[in-house]
Parts: sequence; C-alpha cells; structure tokens
Amino acid sequence: MKEIVILSGKGGVGKSSIAASLGVILADHFKIILADTDVDAPNLALFFNAVNKRSHDVSTCEKSFIDYDKCTGCQECVDACKFSSMVSINNMPIVIPYSCEGCGACTIVCPEDAIEIKKVVNGRINIADINNTMIVSGELDIGESSSGLIVDEVKKISKKEAERIGADLIITDGPPGIGCPVISSIKGSDYVVAVTEPTPAALNDLKRLIEVVEYFKIPLGIVINKSDIHQQSRTAIKEFSEEHKLIVLSEITYDINVPKAIAKSKPVVTAYPDASSSLALIELADKMTDIIEKTE
Amino acid sequence: MIGNIMTAEVLTVIHQKPIKTPIIGITGGKGGVGKSTVAINIAESLVQMGHKVSLVDADVDAPDDHILLNMSLQNPMDVTITTPLINDEKCSKCRKCVDVCRMNALFQPRDSVPTLIGECNGCEACILVCPDDAIERGEKAVGKTYMNETENLTLFTGELIPGSEESSFVVNALKARVYNEANDPDIIIIDTSPGTHCNVINALKGSDEAYAVTEPTPLGIHDLDLILKLLKAFQIRSNVILNRSDLPGVKEQMDSVIKEYGTRISAEIPMDDLLLKSYVEGIPVVRMYPESESSKRILRISEEIAGKYIK
Repeated sequence: MKEIVILSGKGGVGKSSIAASLGVILADHFKIILADTDVDAPNLALFFNAVNKRSHDVSTCEKSFIDYDKCTGCQECVDACKFSSMVSINNMPIVIPYSCEGCGACTIVCPEDAIEIKKVVNGRINIADINNTMIVSGELDIGESSSGLIVDEVKKISKKEAERIGADLIITDGPPGIGCPVISSIKGSDYVVAVTEPTPAALNDLKRLIEVVEYFKIPLGIVINKSDIHQQSRTAIKEFSEEHKLIVLSEITYDINVPKAIAKSKPVVTAYPDASSSLALIELADKMTDIIEKTE
Repeated sequence: MIGNIMTAEVLTVIHQKPIKTPIIGITGGKGGVGKSTVAINIAESLVQMGHKVSLVDADVDAPDDHILLNMSLQNPMDVTITTPLINDEKCSKCRKCVDVCRMNALFQPRDSVPTLIGECNGCEACILVCPDDAIERGEKAVGKTYMNETENLTLFTGELIPGSEESSFVVNALKARVYNEANDPDIIIIDTSPGTHCNVINALKGSDEAYAVTEPTPLGIHDLDLILKLLKAFQIRSNVILNRSDLPGVKEQMDSVIKEYGTRISAEIPMDDLLLKSYVEGIPVVRMYPESESSKRILRISEEIAGKYIK
C-alpha cells in the first residue's frame, strides 16, 4: 500500500481540488482511500457531497483540572506553567483550557495534590463513502490543540481501512502551513505532491514546505496550479525547481471550470471532463501512476 | 468543546492586554481566501489617511505580509524554548523525568542517564520533578520575530523554523514583542493563520473586533461557519468580507450562515485583475491602483474601522 500526500505551504492554491480529481482519475488504476488531514478546515468531502457513514469522537489531548476543594490558592501552579494556561483570579488559579498542553508541570508543583490531568475530546473522525471510494476526514474542535495527533489518528484509521478493504493507494489532502499537522501528514508517506501557484507569496511558502519535506527525506514533485496568472513568478518557480533538482510534475493553467465545479460540489474532472484543467489533471494522474508503481 | 467551558472569567483573562490601542483581527477559516491581501491593504489605507499602524503577521507557518509589501525582514529576534540539559554527575538515574514527560521526548538507556530524543515542547516538567537538581535549562530556537519600521507603518512578523512544531511560542512571543515595542500606534491590525486552532485564538485574543475573509464557494461557507463559531465562543465581534464575490457560488447558503451568527457582510470584493497585478508586484492595490473596484471596497472598510476606533 502506498500513500501520497498533497501539501502546499500556502493555503487556497488548490490542494483539495487536485486531491479530489486525482482521487476520481486514479480510481481506474488503484483501489483508493481518500484521507483529509486538514483537520482545521476539512473540505475534501465537500467535493463529493459525501454523507458521513460513521463518525467517532477522538481524545488526543489532555488538560489540567483543578479540585477547588483541595486548592489553597498558593499560586505554585501559576508560576510553573510555561504556556500561560494557569492564571490567577482573586488569588485562585484557573485553567485556560485552549492553550493548556496537559504537560503536567502544575501537578508536580502542587503541594495539595489538587490538580489532575484528564483526557478531553478534541475532535472526531468522519468516514464517508462515495462510489466505492472511502473518505476518512479528521476534524478538530474549534479552538483546540493537538491537531497533529488527530492527523496521526486519520492516518492510522486510513491504513487500517485500506488493509481491511484491500486498497492499494491512500491519497491524503493535507493542511496548509508547515507546522505540526503538516509534519504529521508527511511522516510515513511515500510521496509528496507540493502544489503552488505563480505568485511570490506562494513560492515563499513552497520553499519553507520543501525544507520540511527534505528533512524527512520523502520524495517530492511540484504542481504549478493557475500556471499562467503571472509569467515572471512562474519562471521563478521553474528556476527554483531546477536549482534544487526538483521535478515539476504538471502545470495547470487557470480554468474558470474549476470554481464552477466547486460550486456544484464536484471535482472538475467529473463536472467538466473536457476542460483544460481536467486534461492536465489526467496527464498528472498518468505520471502519478508511474511514480506510485515505481515506489518501493 | 472549548466553547462550552469558556466562563466569563476565563474570557476576561484571555482578552486582557497591557495596552489600550484598539486591535482588529483579520482571519477566515479557509486558506488562500485573501486574509493577507485584505490586512495589508487595510493597513496601507489607514496609513494613507494619516494614521499610525502596526500590522502583525501572525501566520507563523506561512508569513507573507512582508512579500506583499515587498519588504525584507529586519530586526530579527530568536524565539526559544527551554530544553533539558542533563548533568551526568548529578543524575541518579531515577527515571522520574522520563516518566513525567508526556511528549515521550526523553529516553533512558539501561544503567545510563536519560537523553533527549524526541520533540520537546519546553514545559519544564522534567526540571520540576528531578530530585537531584540535575537538569539545567538549555535553549532551542523554534522561530524568529521581526520588526520592519517605516514612517507610519510598522510590520511585525512571526516565523516558525521549518521542522519545528512549537507555533504557539512564536505567536505568543510575537504578540509580546508588539505590546513591548510598538511605538504608540493608533491601531493594531493582526493577520492570522488559516484554521480555527489554538494559534488562531492566540493571535486574535485581545481583538476588539474581527473580520472573517471568505469566498462564496461551498468550501468558503463551510470554513466561515467554523471561524464564526470560534469568534462567537470567544466573544469577539465578527464581520464578514466576501472576497471574489462574483465567483460562481452559492451565496444563498452564505446568507443563512451569516444570519445564524448574527453577523453581517461588511464588504464584497469582486474578482479584479488589478488586485492580482499589485499582489505579484508587492504593492498594496490601494496604492498601485487606487481607482480599482477592490481598492474602493477596501477603503470603505478602512474608513469604517478608523471612524469607529481612531479618535
């Protein structure tokens, strides 16, 4: 079983659009599971109008809870907390739940044994089925932390489901940025598709992403989406790729059919199979097939 | 869910700030909807009106405001966390630090002193638990903050070091630097990362009001719902900026989300080639093409903000 993950650094460059279309095209060659690890804004299922089949809560984070019957208001915990999550109000400590990392430093210093670390529900896993392809999405509750651990859970369940149904390819639609959910998405995958667009901002974010991917020594290919919106930036991306010996897998020119397809909640290859972007995506899928088959 | 356990006391503490300057947050659940574009253009419009502005780029994963303003980052300061340095001579190999570490970052080979092998989050629990006083404070850089000063606009930027996972320290250090070093601005504009996680809150806390940028697609609506939920839970007054408002979409669905949260669309910005042209040049559209449709819409939001918050 292989796993490719689609990332970008910058948000809104087309990760989910490309993941959805690749999912449809590659389903001809592989038995696929689609995974959505953008747990802050899981949008992949929206391309398929998919209805949740199964859903369960996950508790990947822990937080401090104070027993006020025991607390004497000594403030030791407030001083110990490095995350500014224990604050004093009227000389009694309170926990700021969203930033508490559950590290337990407060429990060590508390002389009254009045603080307990407990697991809390911080998100859920949703599983949906569309035309024989399963979508596993992670969802972080608003304002919560530990998104990387929810990503780990999505990846674990995707692999388990893939083994159960005999799928041979997981396509993961990743989060923007380069932080912990991105690192969790990269770990253990076989190939990274880095989507960018020809603007200085997107190139800046692509460079930061590539530093992270190279750190984990995972092979990577670049897709330049909306490749014709700025010639000079397109050249800059190509020069950067050559300099760093990175492959540009595909260039997809701007196509109004992509937003039109999104408005219909469909991948562009389903809604407009003859559109220029669909043809480019089919070509990209061919290249991906080669890459996946050659991956050890 | 977080929203259910936010008491009035907690909210008061979260929103406390050491300065009186009004703070406006620019956010939006989805990535790439135009948060940074809106933020730099509101900042530029306010400067053009003669106000002194601090712009804060708190998208520490992908900070791009300086690129959209064609600036190279200046005045770097390291953001560091404490990591354990174990003193071999003092350590009695009791394992207490290994057991206390919830990150599983410490490993103790047999009959040996523990070593740091995993991602340390700087909580210092190991230092607190060590009975031998054998752990000293080491430092690990997780990011940088920068400050670019021009006449009436100061840009503060936070940047996570690629490969590091400790974004929250960078966001908090950035906010602390703004509070310490901002030179008495009339207003502070904060540009957040996409999403609705704890670092979006760290960026937004203390805001007097927030603008959620979105687009009229099913994806934009889905993520708008999440960010409005977050703003409501943290009791930050919300407004919506509908970017690329003429994209083929589903505006009716958006109207129902907006109604549900009792907010409003404060501006619609249509797709605009001139906006893209200014974006790739690194010049705010309100400066490069002040007559463009997007400039007019952004100017109106800026006037609204100035009227309400700047005396």
